[in-house]
Amino acid sequence: MTLLQFEGVCSAYGSARVLHDVSLSVSKGERVAILGRNGVGKTTVVNTCLGLASMQSGRMAFLGRDVKAVRTFTAARSGLSVVPQGRRIVSNLTVRENLILGGAPQRKGRWSVDEVFRLFPILKERAETPGTAMSGGQQQMLAIGRALMSNPDLLILDEPSEGLAPVVVDELGETLVKLASGGMSILLIEQNFGLVHKVAERYYVLSKGSVVEEGKLAGLSMETLKKHVAV
Amino acid sequence: MLVQILNGLVYGGMLYVLSVGLVLIFGLRRVVNFAHGGLFMLGAYVGYAAYGIGGFWAAIVASIVVLGIFGIVLDRLVFRALQKQEPMVTVLVTFGLLMVLEDFVQSVWGKDLLTFTTPPSLSGTVAIGAVSFPVYRLVVIAAAVIVVGGLSAWLKLSRAGLYVRASSVDPVTTAMQGVDTEHLSALVVGVGAALAGLSGVIAAPLLALSPSMGSTILIESFIVVVTGGLGSFTGAFVAAMVIGQLHNLGVVFVPNIASMVPLILMVGVLIWRPAGLLGAKA
Ligand SMILES: Nc1ncnc2c1ncn2[C@@H]1O[C@H](COP(=O)(O)OP(=O)(O)O)[C@@H](O)[C@H]1O
Ligand SMILES: [Mg+2]
Repeated sequence: MTLLQFEGVCSAYGSARVLHDVSLSVSKGERVAILGRNGVGKTTVVNTCLGLASMQSGRMAFLGRDVKAVRTFTAARSGLSVVPQGRRIVSNLTVRENLILGGAPQRKGRWSVDEVFRLFPILKERAETPGTAMSGGQQQMLAIGRALMSNPDLLILDEPSEGLAPVVVDELGETLVKLASGGMSILLIEQNFGLVHKVAERYYVLSKGSVVEEGKLAGLSMETLKKHVAV
Repeated sequence: MLVQILNGLVYGGMLYVLSVGLVLIFGLRRVVNFAHGGLFMLGAYVGYAAYGIGGFWAAIVASIVVLGIFGIVLDRLVFRALQKQEPMVTVLVTFGLLMVLEDFVQSVWGKDLLTFTTPPSLSGTVAIGAVSFPVYRLVVIAAAVIVVGGLSAWLKLSRAGLYVRASSVDPVTTAMQGVDTEHLSALVVGVGAALAGLSGVIAAPLLALSPSMGSTILIESFIVVVTGGLGSFTGAFVAAMVIGQLHNLGVVFVPNIASMVPLILMVGVLIWRPAGLLGAKA
């Protein structure tokens, strides 16, 4: 099944068009990456799914169903969970409360607060502290845990490695590989080629709001990939 | 002295029940609601009408229900559109709404002062130590305590309360998690308006009813919200209690400038701690 599909999507903030004729898709069980420099519209792809950028033309579908009047809560309720850029941990909630917030769609599945604590034991230790009182790496774990709480079919991560130390990025990669091997489908938006190489099997390159490249990562060297993105 | 402190609690409690509604509405809609005094006044009049039909408890229930529904309608028709507007537009529209409510009440009940008699079962006094104190005033304190406890429990312990807290600091992230924040805001504005109605009806036996009764208390209610720190529930509680005390002690010790005392407190707090007593650091 196709979990997320864009067909010729044009998307804008007010009258400022950012995405031009973007087509992409992620199927069940896939790990797909979106690459591209700053300001090319990667986050706008996510924002279009969330109704934060408005789709002007084209077609968007979640789990095979066309989405017409998208609202910000639609994606999570449909099974697409977002780990937003900058993590956006809610500052007046504790770690545990941030996780409960993530469970708002009340979709059935294996994930619960205890299950997230098993994946990230440090969160259990910090359960009652304010979510924003933790290090960047721990906040990223919390953002991922919060996204898992809705038992999504597709996990969308927007530049999760941003601002993290290299060793923490390695751990993040291992977590994502572990989730993927447990059957989680992933859409990873990244500028860190190492992380993309470790996690994804397919990629799209975005430039000035358009998809300029797409392909499989297998057999592609990191250098070639970097050259593609530098277009 | 004890009587003064108790009277301060009565006034502070009433002010808290009113102000916490302002905090709720500001928290979710980012709308500074000048019509809140009008909701307080409308609550008192709705209670007055229901009192004649079904007695005091019917008055309480009627104010809460009517104002709660009115709040939800108001959110759908007005506040939702206002959150994208400039602050000045918000001020003008909600202030206009206050005037419309005052005109409406005046056309139905006239502008003469009406008295809302203390219900017989709650009139009379009790002895507290050496002094006697009106039973009804203790009921007002109890009502405030129930609202403080009930609201805190709702916000702290329930799922909806967690969403309300999250949405008051980051509505977009809250919606991303699958929460319908529009729906939630309508509910919260309804609760805020119901609390304004409740404070109006419990205050009614202590004040005379007039269409302009809401404008006077609105000022002090704003002072409470600003002094406590915009958006802080605990701050509003502390500020309401302090201002309740100052209000009464002011009347006793400095009657000439009593009405200015809370204002002086607010200016002091704004200079010393611009975010308010318990407000988030800006
Ligand atoms: N909320 C917004 N309102 C208006 N323009 C925006 C908004 N967010 C992003 N943009 C613009 O859209 C373009 C793409 O931004 P974005 O999708 O955030 O890029 P990326 O995530 O690839 O760095 C940029 O030119 C940016 O200035
Ligand atoms: Mg981005």
